[in-house]
Amino acid sequence: MAARRGSLLPELWPAMSTTAGMHAQRAPRAGAFARLGAWFAQERVFRLIPFVLVEAMFILIVIVPFILTIYISLLRWRANRPFEQATFQGFDNYVAVLGNEAFWTALGRTFYFAGVAVTLELLIGFVLAMLVNRLNRGQRFYITIFLIPMMIVPVVVGYNFSMIYLDSGPFNQLLAPLLEPFGIDPRIRWLSHPIAAQWAIILADVWQWTSLTFLIFMSGFAALPRQLINAARVMGASRSQIFWKIELPLLKPAIVIAVVIRGMEALKMFDSVALLTTGGPGTSTQTIAFYMWEQVWVFNKYSFGAAASIVLLFIFAILIFFGIYMLVRQRSIVMQQGI
Amino acid sequence: MTNDPSAPAPSRARSAYSGRRARAPIVRHAVLLAWSLIVLFPIYWMVMTSFKDSGEWVTWPPRWVPYEPTLLNYRQIFIPADEARGTLARQATEQAFSIWKALGDSLLICLVTSFISLLLGTFLAYAISRFQVGGKYFRYVILTIRMVPPIVIAIPLLMYYAIMIPYATESVLGFRISLFDTYVGIGALYVAVTLPFVIWMMLSFIDEIPYTLEHAARMMGAGRIYVLRKVVFPLVASGMVVTFLFVFILNWAEFLLALTLTYPDVTTLPILLNKFQSASEGRLYGPQAAIGTIITVPVVILGITIQKHLIKGFSFGMIRK
Amino acid sequence: MARIVLRDLVKQFGAYKAVNGVNLDIRDGEFLIMVGPSGCGKTTTLNMISGLETPTSGDILIGETVVNDLDPGERGLGMVFQDLALFPHMTVFENIAFGLRVKKVAESEVQSRVRAAAETVNITKRLETMPRQCSGGESQRVALARTIVTNPRVFLMDEPLSSLDAKLRVDMRTELKRLHEQLKATFVYVTHDQAEAMTMADRIVVMNGGRIEQVGAPLEIYRKPATQFVAGFFGMPTMNFVPGTIERNGSGAVFRAQVGDVTQPVDAVVTPELIGKPVVLGVRAEHVVVGGGGTGAAVRLVEPLGDGTLVFCDYGAESLLVAKVDADSLLKSGDSLNFRFDPPRTHLFDAQRGVRLN
Repeated sequence: MAARRGSLLPELWPAMSTTAGMHAQRAPRAGAFARLGAWFAQERVFRLIPFVLVEAMFILIVIVPFILTIYISLLRWRANRPFEQATFQGFDNYVAVLGNEAFWTALGRTFYFAGVAVTLELLIGFVLAMLVNRLNRGQRFYITIFLIPMMIVPVVVGYNFSMIYLDSGPFNQLLAPLLEPFGIDPRIRWLSHPIAAQWAIILADVWQWTSLTFLIFMSGFAALPRQLINAARVMGASRSQIFWKIELPLLKPAIVIAVVIRGMEALKMFDSVALLTTGGPGTSTQTIAFYMWEQVWVFNKYSFGAAASIVLLFIFAILIFFGIYMLVRQRSIVMQQGI
Repeated sequence: MTNDPSAPAPSRARSAYSGRRARAPIVRHAVLLAWSLIVLFPIYWMVMTSFKDSGEWVTWPPRWVPYEPTLLNYRQIFIPADEARGTLARQATEQAFSIWKALGDSLLICLVTSFISLLLGTFLAYAISRFQVGGKYFRYVILTIRMVPPIVIAIPLLMYYAIMIPYATESVLGFRISLFDTYVGIGALYVAVTLPFVIWMMLSFIDEIPYTLEHAARMMGAGRIYVLRKVVFPLVASGMVVTFLFVFILNWAEFLLALTLTYPDVTTLPILLNKFQSASEGRLYGPQAAIGTIITVPVVILGITIQKHLIKGFSFGMIRK
Repeated sequence: MARIVLRDLVKQFGAYKAVNGVNLDIRDGEFLIMVGPSGCGKTTTLNMISGLETPTSGDILIGETVVNDLDPGERGLGMVFQDLALFPHMTVFENIAFGLRVKKVAESEVQSRVRAAAETVNITKRLETMPRQCSGGESQRVALARTIVTNPRVFLMDEPLSSLDAKLRVDMRTELKRLHEQLKATFVYVTHDQAEAMTMADRIVVMNGGRIEQVGAPLEIYRKPATQFVAGFFGMPTMNFVPGTIERNGSGAVFRAQVGDVTQPVDAVVTPELIGKPVVLGVRAEHVVVGGGGTGAAVRLVEPLGDGTLVFCDYGAESLLVAKVDADSLLKSGDSLNFRFDPPRTHLFDAQRGVRLN
């Protein structure tokens, strides 16, 4: 018995023939638009159209440029000469990148900045979340304030901190009572000192992104099962035991998520460097992103930059793989606990 | 009950930390208020600076409140330079100050790209949620795109936009089209970069709608489009608004790609602010503060309105509440 | 005709066969209940009838037409879902009217039909409220009304009562039964609750592991379970199973338990090849006769039910034997008693295949 297409209603259920009849009447009037709609409504089309569109877009603006980049990375070319004059020179650019001390220093510095900044963000965010979580009143107030830095454009953050670290800025004013008794001029140019400038950048990042770790830990605390903690109390566990043995292990997924997400973001650090120090003094605050930007956009070393991009992509591919692996593992736990 | 006067009065068991407990809230609030001040201070300083006259921008000791509040900084960025001449410092008049171009570009780019990204991302999120399009791990593959540092994408794109596409169009069409420093060029990139956020946020909203609602509607004879329009869309509409605002904030703040792939034909607000920062003839703190305030205020307002959902966006929907 | 026929229906998810060759003839106007443990394939079967799942192989016929490739909406069926699936953003009225709106029915007709459907299930008063403001029972009625309004000849129901509390669930059973009589439509109802199946069904389909174990009227299934699985699935408390063998005993045969001193004559059915084979003897608690000779056992636990009392006794086997005795019985834990089985009410199953032997 062959399956028949179309509405079966008239044959199947006489009781419904009134409504089914209306279908039949409308059919001939269906124009091109309705037919397009019907085509789109087919399940396979419906499933695949957005997928194909997005994939096409990524191929066009991610994959193709990367293939081009690999090609350019094999050339000998600076932007001050026309592209036609570029000559093929094999892997020399890669050798140059891998043997370039500045590249590795900048990369190492980026990890250092990210490491310190994320650690501070985790610690401060955790403490703040713990304190706010214990409040009976005023939670909303603090949450609203603590979230504000997250919404501020990073460029503005950079600008703001450049004002605060100014030699005659408020930061020095606050320090003045401590310094003046020793005869030190409190108008210190923080951003001209290599190590102080590094800390300036780290602190700007901490200021902005502690809001995110705070928020993640807030949801973590809110999702802690009260019954479990009450049970531990009844069994006579002390407050510190409850914290170390119950709360902290239960917060592990939140901690991992915060580390991965913040870590991956912090390694991109660029905006505050550009606004606060432009990599200086010297190269002491150059992150890898800033270093590469300078090589390509300031020194026009295109093929070198292309090779550096590919190298960096490989390094990040490994990091991203591990990051996502950890997120996937924690996510199932998060979904169960309902963070 | 025995009435023995010699029996010791029943002692009330006291918790070991009842004394500490009484003081705890004060310490707690002190710490929290201190952090609140740290959070608010830079913003306060910027807003105050934006109302200071040029003589008060940099003084020692710095002025916490402008002695003579003025709107000159705002006037300077909103009113073309030649009209404001005479009221400003010398270097101020020499630069193009108008914020209008950057404001317009930023609004245009952010609105359009956020909308396109939302549309594409929502449909794809729907397909992923309901049909597992792209396989079980496709949602994580999408995430990787977001984790790649933008500088790694920026260099290939510079060459692509500035070299390959002009060469290709010249050889095929006979004239050069460059995507470098164009609305289309930066816009397409913003869509691509924000798509993972849209997909993850919308996934968290769509996953929450029981699939049986759609089954029920389909059983009652509704077609797919009808189900989308009458059942799915009304239920995710608020989520779409939130996602749109979130992506808008992201695009509004984007700096690196705009710095590397646009200017001067396309200028977004962060680029304008950066331009002042690197001005060689001394920085114009006041107008910068005014621009900073104008960039910040709308996003903070938007951000506070979607406060509850910010976490979903920034954590890629890893965390739901 | 609203007759539904399933022919060799198979549904595979990856390597897992959720439904593995189901043949079923659903008669016009009957109240058919598919019952089985979770994962037995009953919901998948229902979803294939509804069109929400496409069969891997086999055919679904409605009337005389194969409907495998028809969209769910084109099959003219009504369905009530386990989570009810009320649209949270529409009023109760709009929820009920949805099926009519889809078909672009005129407004006046929508009004009258929605009201008629609401009257059938007694929710006329709640028409303007939102679903989340309705109580469990009311939501249930809305879901029913929404299905009734389109006049389907077949109602598919996927555990619709599972979200209700115990008392309401019992009340709704009566209600559904009344509705079935009133509408004279075919009901195909899926549940894991054997009590629901027993009380409402005209016929019960017992499924397990993607296959049908038995199809029959409720009492038939209760009294003559075709397999050990069916026997164990129906009835509270669970039927007692005593493993053992069949031995020749003069001209007849006798069942002898592996453990404990239990024997039971099983003359009627035994064929020669069964002798010596491992079998399982099944007997329900109410068919265990306590007192008056038989096997000796010790009482371990007593559960008064009100209308009777369950006595769990230890006769040496691994599992305790349950007997239902009179509520006035004075047995208590530690007492000893004698029990035997009511011969015509015992069931004999093949120990390997679980198939009924007598």
